[in-house]
Amino acid sequence: MQELRALLVQLELLEQQDLQLEQQEYQLLVLVLDRPLNSPPLKSSLSFYIKYSILKRQYGLDSPSSPRVKCTVVEIQLAAETIGHLGPIPLTNSMLVTFVTTILLSAVAIFATRSVQVVPAGLQNVFEFAIEAVYDLTEDLAHSKAKVFFPLIMTFFLFIITANWLGLLPGFGTIGFNEIHKGKQVFVPLLRSINADLNTTLALALISVIATHILAVRYLGILDYFKKWFNLNPIFLFVGLLELVGEFTKIVSLSFRLFGNIFAGEIVLATIAGIFAFVVPLPFYFLEIIVGFVQAAVFMMLTLTFMVLLSEKQGE
Amino acid sequence: MDILTNFGVKPILLMAQVVNFLILLFILKRFLYKPLLKALDQRKQRIADSLRNAEEIEKRLEQTTKEREERLKKASREAEEILAEAAKTADRIVAEAHLKAGHDIKKLMEKSKDAMEQERGKLHQEIRGELADLVAASLQKVTGKIITTKDQKEMIQRSVEGLA
Repeated sequence: MQELRALLVQLELLEQQDLQLEQQEYQLLVLVLDRPLNSPPLKSSLSFYIKYSILKRQYGLDSPSSPRVKCTVVEIQLAAETIGHLGPIPLTNSMLVTFVTTILLSAVAIFATRSVQVVPAGLQNVFEFAIEAVYDLTEDLAHSKAKVFFPLIMTFFLFIITANWLGLLPGFGTIGFNEIHKGKQVFVPLLRSINADLNTTLALALISVIATHILAVRYLGILDYFKKWFNLNPIFLFVGLLELVGEFTKIVSLSFRLFGNIFAGEIVLATIAGIFAFVVPLPFYFLEIIVGFVQAAVFMMLTLTFMVLLSEKQGE
Repeated sequence: MDILTNFGVKPILLMAQVVNFLILLFILKRFLYKPLLKALDQRKQRIADSLRNAEEIEKRLEQTTKEREERLKKASREAEEILAEAAKTADRIVAEAHLKAGHDIKKLMEKSKDAMEQERGKLHQEIRGELADLVAASLQKVTGKIITTKDQKEMIQRSVEGLA
């Protein structure tokens, strides 16, 4: 339990850092736009809405039915754009980048471990460092369950951080083509940071929460699992029901936190680049690099905490 | 669910992302975590082993050093003992020799004393004999006759007693 408390403290610190980052971003934004913004920055999972509303006020938006952020140069659509069809399946730009990320990550992983040496070098060393750090954390919290929790958690981290940093590369959101859509010419970017698509983050959050529950059933048994939610004691029954609602909140908070941060980052970068494309966006890029890491770490640690908490026997 | 359409969420895209993630999970588990965790484990094992070995070696070295020191101490103690013994023996021998020499000297002195005494006795006897002869001769000359042996003896006896 002590380790868990330590982790929660760490999480809080991360959130604080996140908040600080946002404040810095906000101040930078004020500095660059050279006028105060109407609404102050708020805490992380809401950050998207705040930034969204700031920019809405700043630049004006289309009707709420088709939310579209207008920047001076680029427009960023809330939904990922469809760039083609794979049979009956629509291929969106974020889906394309998801494939690229998956292939890239798999290739690098296979390349790094093609011949595992006792004395590590190069890529093997890098991955060993990351894996050891995360595995130690998992072991501290989950003890014997670490072996089962670890692959999922590590994959969340690697996938999210690769996606976030890949999305910062030049060409994302700027290379694309124009398309006539409902009589209007619309710019469709070919590449999109994949966590700036709610499909991705929602899928990740669903996997995280569903896996948490499956593992809980596996470790507690079906009876103890249900005892967690339903109790004959009316007070605990109420608490259990509240917690059940909390499980759905988890999906929303996990997905929207990640989506909000990355999408808002995209908007900020595009806005700043639209104002002045040279040198000025650099501090924002650095911030987004940190945000990308922090969001990956937060997603990973939250998933780990939920897993540990839920697969633990209820204290009596 | 209006908000979901606004965000462009479609079940098919969602499913695609889920499937994609699961594939990635499988690939990474198979090709990244498994071999690397195994390697990490092996390395940990190896380090633990070599640490244990080093500890053992150190222990053994310490033991050997201790043993050697002990042996050295023992040897030096023995040497000291031997030296002390030798000194004692030497002392004894010297003392004995002194004693013997003293004894011998005493004996020799006594012997020489005895011999001297004897010599002196002998000398006395000789002188006495010669003196008697001399007296007898002189008496013969004086008396002009040869005194019987009996007389002679008596006279000699007397004169000798007078001399004495």
